[in-house]
Amino acid sequence: MIKRTTRSLGRTGEAAVLAWKILKVLPRPRLYFNAALQQAYVMGIQSLPLVLIMAFLGGAVTSQQTGTQFSGGLPVWVIGSVLAASVITELGPVLTGIVMMARVGAAIAAELASMKVTEQIDALVAMGRDPVAFLVVPRVLAGLIVFPLLVILAVAMGIFAGWGVALLAVDGMTSADIVYGMRFYFRPWVLVFSVIKGGVFGVAITFIACFVGMNGEGGAEGVGRTTTTAVVATTLALMVLDVLLVPLLKAF
Amino acid sequence: MIEFRNLHKSFDSHHVLRGVDLSVEEGETLALLGPSGTGKSVLIKHAIGLLDPDEGDVFVDGISIANASEKELRHARRRIGYVFQNAALFDSLTVAENLWLAQTDEREGRSLENCRAEAEELLAKVNLDPSVMMKLPSELSGGMRKRVGVARAIAHNPSYLLWDEPTTGLDPVNADNIDELIMTMREKLGVTSIVVTHDLDTAFEVGDRIALLYEGKVRACQTPEDILKNDDPVVKRFVRRTTRADAVE
Repeated sequence: MIKRTTRSLGRTGEAAVLAWKILKVLPRPRLYFNAALQQAYVMGIQSLPLVLIMAFLGGAVTSQQTGTQFSGGLPVWVIGSVLAASVITELGPVLTGIVMMARVGAAIAAELASMKVTEQIDALVAMGRDPVAFLVVPRVLAGLIVFPLLVILAVAMGIFAGWGVALLAVDGMTSADIVYGMRFYFRPWVLVFSVIKGGVFGVAITFIACFVGMNGEGGAEGVGRTTTTAVVATTLALMVLDVLLVPLLKAF
Repeated sequence: MIEFRNLHKSFDSHHVLRGVDLSVEEGETLALLGPSGTGKSVLIKHAIGLLDPDEGDVFVDGISIANASEKELRHARRRIGYVFQNAALFDSLTVAENLWLAQTDEREGRSLENCRAEAEELLAKVNLDPSVMMKLPSELSGGMRKRVGVARAIAHNPSYLLWDEPTTGLDPVNADNIDELIMTMREKLGVTSIVVTHDLDTAFEVGDRIALLYEGKVRACQTPEDILKNDDPVVKRFVRRTTRADAVE
């Protein structure tokens, strides 16, 4: 028990040190700027189709479920409000986060762990290069850039899908009802909140994946274990952050 | 000069290095022999600051590696080339990019043609054809990867080279080529080397002195001729299992 606690505290300390090293590198963009753009491009392009599919399905399910549960009890335009509220504040960022965690977080952890066990990270250090500037900062920064953009696209796709499905599946529903419902609910801050959430998820997922990956050990089995650890840790972090960020929605 | 002073290192309860004292003179090639798991690689990793000692220190040209600032450590590392056991090439980069990464500071402000010419020159030093330049490490044989690893280690013109098991896993012809390469580095570039090896042929071929690391300490450190005459049963048992060593006698 004491050993586990000590280890957990040690890990937390190591994560704090990594965060500090990232902050120290940030004022020197020459070291990471090009790599960050390249990472952002790869992350964005590779994840976009899956993010859009998930958002489409999320939006479609939301309007169908709302239509089924509210039919007869509430006016149909409420579906527009529920759709906007669910997709903008929750489904857009969280579904994007889950896709990115599985798609990007796991890939980062596996790549860095495999670099660690094959001494590629040691080779960087031996050459006098800073692995944090070379490997971690570009990925975390790419997460910060790409996640909010993907969240905006996911929100747009979710609403588009929910709108279309509501017109097809809910009796008496018109586009005017949906627009009315959305406008009833919508405040610009909600969209800002969604984008902030995307940025926080982006940094958290890439940071945790980098941290876990850089500490990978063992052979092929170790890389597998590291990837699993990264997925579990990022899933937990995603849901905890989702809860912690709620007060921010009410702040403005 | 690289000097290890009373170096101790443990991993959990395993006390690997138990007070290593060893110095490597300028221009010398020291072959470091020892049974598996005795801490040979661990020892040379301390010289470049990849591991921190629990006790003791390593001095490179008089600079304490254990107490060096980040800047001093970076400078010390620019004077040392490390040849990794499995080459440790960046598998997402081409051979040329691997070489350029090792000399980025030197490359600044130079034309692409210049950089290509330098990469070709480096590959020529390790007897590799320039055609491998745009290949990925996964497209190369084990011997070629090792050579690219050497080219990368010498890309920034280091004064010291640390070779971690340079001939392990290679066929005899490729192993001989690597031995020749180690000797060429000393003769042509005047590089000081520490060669960690299991291979007695390599140790006797390239070593000006041979050190035997046993149970975490230096058991003997002598010229190849003298170590063969050493009466210590542990040394005897280890160094006399060779054919080429007999030729030295």
